[in-house]
Amino acid sequence: MSGGIARGRLAEERKAWRKNHPHGFVAKPETGPDGSVNLMVWHCTIPGKAGTDWEGGYFPLTLHFSEDYPSKPPKCKFPQGFFHPNVYPSGTVCLSILNEDSGWRPAITVKQILVGIQDLLDQPNPADPAQTDGYQLFIQEPAEYKRRVRQQAKQYPPLV
Amino acid sequence: MEKSTEELEPLFDYSRVQPFNFESLDDDDSDSSPNLTPKRKKLSNSSEEKNENVTQVIDFKENEEEDWLPPPPKLSVDVQNQLGEDSTLKQLRLKKQELLLFAQSAKDVLRTVEESAKREHGSSLQSSIESVASQPSKPPCERAKIVISIQDKDGLKQFRIYMDDKFERLFKMYADKLKLDLKSLIFCFDGDKISPTATPDELGMEDNDIVEVHIKSS
Repeated sequence: MSGGIARGRLAEERKAWRKNHPHGFVAKPETGPDGSVNLMVWHCTIPGKAGTDWEGGYFPLTLHFSEDYPSKPPKCKFPQGFFHPNVYPSGTVCLSILNEDSGWRPAITVKQILVGIQDLLDQPNPADPAQTDGYQLFIQEPAEYKRRVRQQAKQYPPLV
Repeated sequence: MEKSTEELEPLFDYSRVQPFNFESLDDDDSDSSPNLTPKRKKLSNSSEEKNENVTQVIDFKENEEEDWLPPPPKLSVDVQNQLGEDSTLKQLRLKKQELLLFAQSAKDVLRTVEESAKREHGSSLQSSIESVASQPSKPPCERAKIVISIQDKDGLKQFRIYMDDKFERLFKMYADKLKLDLKSLIFCFDGDKISPTATPDELGMEDNDIVEVHIKSS
């Protein structure tokens, strides 16, 4: 039952995204080798914001939706080892609006999630660290932190 | 006076109420035997006979309906009437058979026409395809159109093209309109670069789908 709700909502999200989304972002449900579409997993791209050290990077993000979506938020994952104070070593993003017990609301759209994560890239939350590397450099060595961020942006050039 | 009131009542009640009115109906309908039924009534008051009569009438009515007869003006067990109606029934049945035969022959004619049409269509299909291919712009109403939004950093612009148009035409339209060098532009759909030779149809695009344009940095 709830799976039907999740898929219905995701189909709507996808429809809305196709007609309107912010420039540079990509969000599309996973397509199997046989052409079948899996609405429960979305492959996305978040562009680094212009004017920040993240500019020029197009960061791949995967959204994993559960059957309980939209009651529960999707799990959002960057590649393993992604450099950012609020990203776990596994790549999972730690953000209040993605926390079921904190800021998540069923009305939050995929677009809002992606834009929210784009904002997080340049505005880490030192109160809620998720990895030691990124957190310690951000707090203690801002110059080195900046260098690492720019280096990472180059690692994820535009796909086209 | 008595008679006339008797005549009126059964007309209303016959179809709903049972044996009772049935007898009155006889009175009312068959001029030849108004006295017969009351007599019967007196002779045999058993409900069995009444029931028989009722079923008879009902059956009769049903048969008539099945045979598509117009609603009979009179319902009666009168022998003469029955005979008279039987003859019209026969006539109608004959008519019906005639019509059936006619319908059958009409079907046959239709079938032969269809078959011949199919054969003709099959042979002419090839040539019609060729003619369409040689004059693609001639039947414009048959080609599906699509509205595509091209999005750059500053906003959206909408273009209407054919579903089977190659994207290069759209790209050129866009570059001309914005006075940009086509070579410096990259067009993407869902994060994938669009080949100039692809068509909206091939990419499964829908109205108002967004094509993103990026300007090459180098």
